[in-house]
Amino acid sequence: MELTWGLMIVIYLFTAGLSAGAMITSNLAFLYGGREFELVSRWGAYLSPFPISLGLGVLVLDLGSPLNFYQLFLTLELSSPMSYGSWIILFFTMLSFVYLYFWLPETYQRIGQTQQLGLWKKRLAKLMPVLSIAVASYTGLLLNAAVRPIWNAPLLPILFLISALSTGVAAVIMISNLGPWKRARHKELHVLTKADAGLIILECLIILIMIVMGRLSSASETMAFSSLLFGNYAWVFWLLIVGLGLIIPLFLELMELKDKIPVKWVWPVTISSSFLVLFGGFFVRYVITYAGQTSSWF
Amino acid sequence: MTIRMGFVIITSRCIDCDACMVACRSENDVPLGHTRNWVKTSGVQGQFPKVSEMFQPGNCMHCDNPPCVAVCPTGASQKRPDGIIIVEDKKCIGCKYCLTACPYDARFSNSETGKADKCTLCLHRLEQGLKPACVQTCLGKSRQAGDLNDPGSVVSKLIAHYPTRILLKDVGTGPNIYYIDEAVPDIPEGK
Repeated sequence: MELTWGLMIVIYLFTAGLSAGAMITSNLAFLYGGREFELVSRWGAYLSPFPISLGLGVLVLDLGSPLNFYQLFLTLELSSPMSYGSWIILFFTMLSFVYLYFWLPETYQRIGQTQQLGLWKKRLAKLMPVLSIAVASYTGLLLNAAVRPIWNAPLLPILFLISALSTGVAAVIMISNLGPWKRARHKELHVLTKADAGLIILECLIILIMIVMGRLSSASETMAFSSLLFGNYAWVFWLLIVGLGLIIPLFLELMELKDKIPVKWVWPVTISSSFLVLFGGFFVRYVITYAGQTSSWF
Repeated sequence: MTIRMGFVIITSRCIDCDACMVACRSENDVPLGHTRNWVKTSGVQGQFPKVSEMFQPGNCMHCDNPPCVAVCPTGASQKRPDGIIIVEDKKCIGCKYCLTACPYDARFSNSETGKADKCTLCLHRLEQGLKPACVQTCLGKSRQAGDLNDPGSVVSKLIAHYPTRILLKDVGTGPNIYYIDEAVPDIPEGK
């Protein structure tokens, strides 16, 4: 089969996961972190609405009949992950802007009283993790439903969820370290880095299990995974995903956690490892989207 | 008994003339670069002097369990009561989900309308009592279409008399094109 879903869809899958991950990071930091984690929570809230908005724009442009896109919202087809997914991302995106508004400094909050806003901020912080998990994992169900080799891997929704969380945390780490002001302090970053390292390890495990399961399935699926491991996509998989996207950032993060990085290298290492996690997350989406389409049943 | 429209294709009678592809394109204004039906070849099989080649026409299988209908987010892709699967253009947003879901690669994105397109079993011809264009034009009488649930139809009689196979049986789509590889000297009479 030739490529139907290309780079536009990969960009959407990546940005949706990123927004969802950043949102959960912000929510958890706010609900459980207290005053010390306020900076991290704020940056997560500021970041979250924008990647997914970009992704949605790209998604609508990729449609063959974009002016008809409203048809998605005239119905709910329960058998189609794209149908309920559209509703989920609609609510997520709108609420992510509302959540951003709650985090603005008081001088910018024209609507609503401060106390009221504070109350709704907490309520939203409890709701958004549910929507975020839905946004992050439904894309895995989307590919599952198309019944293609690799795409039908049962662990795909979990892989996309973990990858979304990992890229979300990495993005928050990166963005809260980029500007000279409002840089997150050592303790906040330490906790986030620990979380990301754990997520990377989990992601490696899930990818391993997915590959083993795939190779033990039908001949079509075995061959499809071959294209990842030894075939056309091998260099993307081993070099870009496993090497640059998983092993190296994990190594750098573990070194940071053990305080083995010399002080003047901490900032570039933090930025680099976060960037590499994002890089790897993008290529995970890329390789699965492409390899699933160039494989077929026989 | 409910109607279940489908095809029987006799591969031993196919000579890969591709007239069915031309007829379909002409009848349905299919844009160049895409096709609603096809003829695949097995390539040369065997060793000289015992060589052979098999041709396998195909199109949308109008499956009993169609993944393309299940994944459509707007309900544009539908299975009619008579079994024929159609795309309701008004609802189609061109998301191409159904293209990725079809294991037979039967669908394509129509470059002129931007919407999903595929074999319609020439519904407009069936409504006038005519045969689908590809069946009408097939000079080897390899392509046959009709109601698979009607014992009086040509397709049912062929299935009753000859061993058949379907494609990708294990994927679970329930395709309604039955292939007969054996030689069929006479096509039975029927509806």
